[in-house]
Amino acid sequence: MRHARFRMAAAAVLLAGGLAACGDAGNDDAEGVDVEVAENAADEFDDGTRMKELAEDGNIVIGVKFDQPGIGFKGATDDAPVGFDPEIGKILAADLGIAAEDITWKETISDNREPFLESGEVDLVIASYSITDERREVVGQAGPYYVTGQQLLVRSDSDIDSLDDVKGTEVCSVTGSTSLENIEAEGARPRGFDTYSECVDQVLNGTVDAMTTDGAILLGYAAENADQLKVVVEPFSEERYGVGYSLEAPEMCQWIVDTITEAQEDGAWDEAFQATLGQSGVETPEPPAMDECPA
Amino acid sequence: MDDVTSEFDLVLQAFWLTIQLAALSGVVSLVLGTVLAAMRVGPVAPFRLAATTYVNVVRNTPLLIVFVFVFVAFPNLGLLVGTPFLLKGVVAVSLYTAPFVCEAIRAGINAVPLGQAEAARAIGLTFGQTMGNVVLPQAFRAAVPPLASVLIAMTKNTSIAAVFGLMEATARMRYFTNNSADDTVIFLVFALGYIIIVETLSAGAWGLERRWRVAR
Amino acid sequence: MARPGRMWIVSGAMTTHRTTDDLVVLDHVDKWFGQLHVLKDVDLRIRRGEVVVVIGPSGSGKSTLCRAINRLEPIDKGTITLDGKPLPEEGKELAALRAEVGMVFQSFNLFAHKTILENVTLGPIKVRGHKKDAAEKRARELLDRVGVGHQAEKYPAQLSGGQQQRVAIARALAMEPKVMLFDEPTSALDPEMISEVLEVMVDLAKQGMTMVVVTHEMGFARTAGDRVVFMADGAIVEEATPEQFFTNPQSDRAKDFLGKILKH
Ligand SMILES: Nc1ncnc2c1ncn2[C@@H]1O[C@H](COP(=O)(O)OP(=O)(O)OP(=O)(O)O)[C@@H](O)[C@H]1O
Ligand SMILES: [Mg+2]
Repeated sequence: MRHARFRMAAAAVLLAGGLAACGDAGNDDAEGVDVEVAENAADEFDDGTRMKELAEDGNIVIGVKFDQPGIGFKGATDDAPVGFDPEIGKILAADLGIAAEDITWKETISDNREPFLESGEVDLVIASYSITDERREVVGQAGPYYVTGQQLLVRSDSDIDSLDDVKGTEVCSVTGSTSLENIEAEGARPRGFDTYSECVDQVLNGTVDAMTTDGAILLGYAAENADQLKVVVEPFSEERYGVGYSLEAPEMCQWIVDTITEAQEDGAWDEAFQATLGQSGVETPEPPAMDECPA
Repeated sequence: MDDVTSEFDLVLQAFWLTIQLAALSGVVSLVLGTVLAAMRVGPVAPFRLAATTYVNVVRNTPLLIVFVFVFVAFPNLGLLVGTPFLLKGVVAVSLYTAPFVCEAIRAGINAVPLGQAEAARAIGLTFGQTMGNVVLPQAFRAAVPPLASVLIAMTKNTSIAAVFGLMEATARMRYFTNNSADDTVIFLVFALGYIIIVETLSAGAWGLERRWRVAR
Repeated sequence: MARPGRMWIVSGAMTTHRTTDDLVVLDHVDKWFGQLHVLKDVDLRIRRGEVVVVIGPSGSGKSTLCRAINRLEPIDKGTITLDGKPLPEEGKELAALRAEVGMVFQSFNLFAHKTILENVTLGPIKVRGHKKDAAEKRARELLDRVGVGHQAEKYPAQLSGGQQQRVAIARALAMEPKVMLFDEPTSALDPEMISEVLEVMVDLAKQGMTMVVVTHEMGFARTAGDRVVFMADGAIVEEATPEQFFTNPQSDRAKDFLGKILKH
């Protein structure tokens, strides 16, 4: 059995940037968790697998979000993105014997995740990439490595406290996102913006009534503006984040599932969470059980 | 995917919003641009300076920044907070487009022979009447082709509103592409929609040119 | 060619009686274009009903003189009065004054985007506040009299130069001006069209219209002119009756000038 061990370098390393405002997101303290890199990893994989190719190359291209505090965020002056998704990326790369500094991070936005995988521009997509049947028709999605749900971020004095209250209100999110689509289905008027920070501004200045997206992101913004913003309503969707891979390399699925399962068991998953999303004060959840890979 | 076809009403709604945005912005830009042009050629020095400054500043500002001002910066200062998004979109697109309209019309004004304005003044028309009855109508005729280009560019520029809270065609296109595996059909459908709008504009401009040809 | 009608219904002031009081008075008028002194101490009195023909070499300031009288060009020194009132500064009042002074340009300057009829009715409607119906009725009478009544619905570009210039005269007359200024009205026209315009002008003169006409048409000056004013280098060099001027010019400049144009 392949085996990879992970060790936390500094328990108290804060991914301050992950959850801070844009302004101080470029904090140099943000380092993330040190992950022990497997040695002679290439020997562990069968010939002809994509894992073997990557391990031999010693380089991997991973698509992550650059604009989601806590999940995947890269400030203008940062060298590498920080967040839970990059941490998962590092865990996977380490299993291939690839050190964090040898990972090429590529920004993916919601629209280009499939094209990037299909064209081979990235090897993996770990970008708050909800698993859906439609997507699984064109790309592979292994996981979920994390499960979150859509919630609402409102001003502290807002009357909205149930999903019924959003009917007829203006709710912002990122243009083209599933969250926006879901809230539109709930009867809200959808207001799409380019970035979450612009959307938060709309809530803060009173232009829109609420912002909606995955709870994890909302908690990050609420923590920054604790006296002005709050997160309300029970999660009303289940977003199961998966690792995207190309359907041309179906063998990657089982490897991803195995590697993440190990990380869940040996505590690396917990450490990654605490260093990133956990900074908003939420308790570290039970890691989700992952789907079977397609036969 | 059959998404676009099964939810075609969403496509139509989105283009209806694009058309509203373009039509309202077109009217406002034409009015504002004409006023700016009249100020720039008029006899009042402070007006000339104000209009020239506005045109130069806004023409050198990217549209995205104008949108950020109207949709983010102003509300952060407490302005335009309660204003409907469509109106804010019209404000942003018009503020940006008016200088281009102004310059197209100013070029049109310069193409009107000086004798036309002199003859108008000679029969006793005031500056305003001379502009309104003699110079501008001819300037508009000369400016139809460049104005058509300006309005076509403006129509396409309305797509920026997709990331400023308006569920117009481009925003709806991204809604579909987010969900779907096969984006090609979606792109084609939406591109076709824009082409239809733009071609309608071109045809209108061509019709005006033809109608006015005799009078020039 | 259609002859203009006999009876003009122009302005009451001129059909009643020819008085000898001065309608237009230029008093020590100077004008510069930058360094160029284009009007030099010009004194000119034009009596009511008088037809003054202005003659002179190119660049002598004839157009500038005309344009100064309705203040299309402001002057730098001296005064110009119209019917006893000094010309006002730019603004509403000046616009009102210009309505009293008809002007016909060498290049016609008909409004290209308006029909012939609209060209003639624009001023009466916008400046005089006349009703559209009344303005059109009057415009058609004027167009008939200058012989282009059947062209009323056409656009200027569809008319010959001579027809356009006659429309321009009708357009000026529609304002019922006290005085008409003509700046080389026939010099942009083909020879065969010159006479049709001159005939209209001669008729107008016979009706008692006060006119200042810049022209080299000696025939017109002799038939219709009361006085010839000869300009050179921005100054009035000689004034005489047409007969005297053409047969017996006094100044060398005038003799020289006439020598040149008579060769043609
Ligand atoms: N707007 C202007 N700016 C500068 N100089 C001018 C302007 N208009 C006329 N001039 C000059 O003033 C002088 C007088 O011009 P004006 O047009 O009055 O002459 P004119 O007697 O009418 O000549 P022509 O017979 O050629 O029409 C000329 O030297 C001309 O070049
Ligand atoms: Mg001249």
